[in-house]
Amino acid sequence: MEITKLSFAFRHRRLFHNLSLQVGAGELVHIAGPNGAGKSTFLATVAGLLTPAAGTVAYQGSDGPIQDRRDALEYLPAEANGLYLKMGATQNLQFWSRLRGLNLSPPEIWTALTPWNLNHPLLRDGFAVEKFSTGMKRRLALARLQLSPAVGWLLDEPVYGLDAEAMTIFTNMLSQHLAKGGFALMVSHDLLPFAGLITKTVVIGGKPGTVEAA
Amino acid sequence: MITAEDRRELYLGAILLTLVVGHWLAAFYYAPVDEHQGEVYRIMFLHVPSAITAFASSAALAVFSVLGLKRRSEASLALAKATAEVGLLFTVLTLATGSIWGRPTWGTWWTWDARLTTTFLLALLYCGYLLLYAAMPTGPSRIRACAVLGILIFADVPIIYKSVTWWRTLHQPPSMLRAGGSTMEPEILWTLVLGIVILCLYGAWLIRFRSRNIRLADTLEAASFDQLQT
Amino acid sequence: MSSPFWRHYRTLVSQGIQAELADLERLVSPVLFALTTLLLFAFAIGDVEPALRVHIYLAETFLTALFALQINFSRLFEPDRQDRVFDLMRTYPVDHTAWFLAKYTLVLAMGSATLGPTLGFAAFVNQSPSQPLFSWVVVGVAAMALAGLAALGVLLSAMTLKANARQILYPLLYFPLATPVLLAAVQSSQLYLSSGQITADVRAWLGLLLGFDVIYITLGALLFTELVDES
Repeated sequence: MEITKLSFAFRHRRLFHNLSLQVGAGELVHIAGPNGAGKSTFLATVAGLLTPAAGTVAYQGSDGPIQDRRDALEYLPAEANGLYLKMGATQNLQFWSRLRGLNLSPPEIWTALTPWNLNHPLLRDGFAVEKFSTGMKRRLALARLQLSPAVGWLLDEPVYGLDAEAMTIFTNMLSQHLAKGGFALMVSHDLLPFAGLITKTVVIGGKPGTVEAA
Repeated sequence: MITAEDRRELYLGAILLTLVVGHWLAAFYYAPVDEHQGEVYRIMFLHVPSAITAFASSAALAVFSVLGLKRRSEASLALAKATAEVGLLFTVLTLATGSIWGRPTWGTWWTWDARLTTTFLLALLYCGYLLLYAAMPTGPSRIRACAVLGILIFADVPIIYKSVTWWRTLHQPPSMLRAGGSTMEPEILWTLVLGIVILCLYGAWLIRFRSRNIRLADTLEAASFDQLQT
Repeated sequence: MSSPFWRHYRTLVSQGIQAELADLERLVSPVLFALTTLLLFAFAIGDVEPALRVHIYLAETFLTALFALQINFSRLFEPDRQDRVFDLMRTYPVDHTAWFLAKYTLVLAMGSATLGPTLGFAAFVNQSPSQPLFSWVVVGVAAMALAGLAALGVLLSAMTLKANARQILYPLLYFPLATPVLLAAVQSSQLYLSSGQITADVRAWLGLLLGFDVIYITLGALLFTELVDES
């Protein structure tokens, strides 16, 4: 599984320019750079939410090019979790996994919630997600990530709001994902938990993006 | 700094404006007095061309919108926005001259006549387009949203026109004045046709000029952002 | 059927309905708004000549419906706007036409829930012993109007999703575009109620309404894809 990005530029506010990067199976790429450099914009562009002014993103599977990149990528935005706030945790996970073509029964969903400490009848059913704390919402979003069959994870500040325990669970989950041949692009202010996992670092700044091996 | 291109653009505009003024002179001195309406009919030479330019603008808006969806470029959005502005200008002009013309001929400043109503709605829709443009953050989503509205407006104008015509003509005899109809004298007809052609060209020039203006403002903004980064 | 298209469609519709039920206020408030508006019309208009009664009744009913439906339409994407659900949805492998159809179905259902009580209540308070006003033909006309308006509503909702000042922008775009529907609905119903049968004139207005439906549903399906699509 491999993803090849060619060249990027963002017209109006030039954030990153001619950024090239190749990601292979099992790789964790850390996107670094100062505030406002365009790290989140870069991830959103790869996710397909924004159109690059120049350059393309090519998605290559182990058996030929990927038809629909959306099948291969799972995006986790930074300041939001993409949850229906008025609905319960189980309903949310069921909905998103159904769109991915998974038909999970409530017990299967609950199993997925267990590691995140959300599998309690009072929390998971009929309890609106908007009443969750910041960390709990993030845990729920990560539980969705764990369920997703997508090989590529685009993670924007994945550990924001997480406590030490959840951070460990997430790190384990990420290393398992990479071991299974998945890959991830990540923006994170906190690098300590991932020290051993990062294989590449991309620095986005005012100057053309550079790729460094970690 | 004025480039040679800017200068050419301005000359072209000046020539077109001279033609517009020249046409007004023709409207006043060349075209003969109308036997039914007297001198007041001459406002038609401003009213009809601006109405046609206003409605032609909605077609142009649709064309630029389709281009915008295809190319997703800021250039086509700038053209579309300029078209909406120019279209609004000419719809307002049409409404004003229509109202002034209506007072002596129909005896009222306003009536819910089919054409007036349609023009009024078109003015509102142009305003809506400009509001949407102003309310969206710069970027591809604005290009797409504005393009969709541009197409909707164009698709709606015929339905609105048809419905309003039925509304106003099914139950009451068409009391509105026919702009000369087939009985128009050749001098009047030619002056009118000339006026339509000149005003459409002038409208096209305005759109071009204004869209260049918008693009320039964009470039300026981008340049100031670049300045900020270094 | 279990093709991805229908799977997406079913998932999105059931999710939409659950989201509505999770927040009942969203369903009830347009109806309450409609009842309030009808009350205001009654105050403003007062006693009506019997000859004008049908016309006034239809005018205020369809106007009220147009206003109340605007609330349904403009809030259609409200649950998706929170927490960037809408953006996430765009990164998911969802068929965009299925997405439009699901939203369209949802707004039809919500719109009917608003339209039904509005029509019933308006006929109830405006009738007189000699003039029962409720008619299934008027309901049919209203349903036809809803079919086109709902497509327009979905499109405008998706369009203004990222705009500032949505609350004021939405009606300013929706009302001018909806004028043909209001006109055709009132005229056809009035012609029908005054003659008691579907005359050629009624049919002409209904034809216009149908034309509007076809244009907006087609444009809606085509342009919605353009709105949510990227690259």
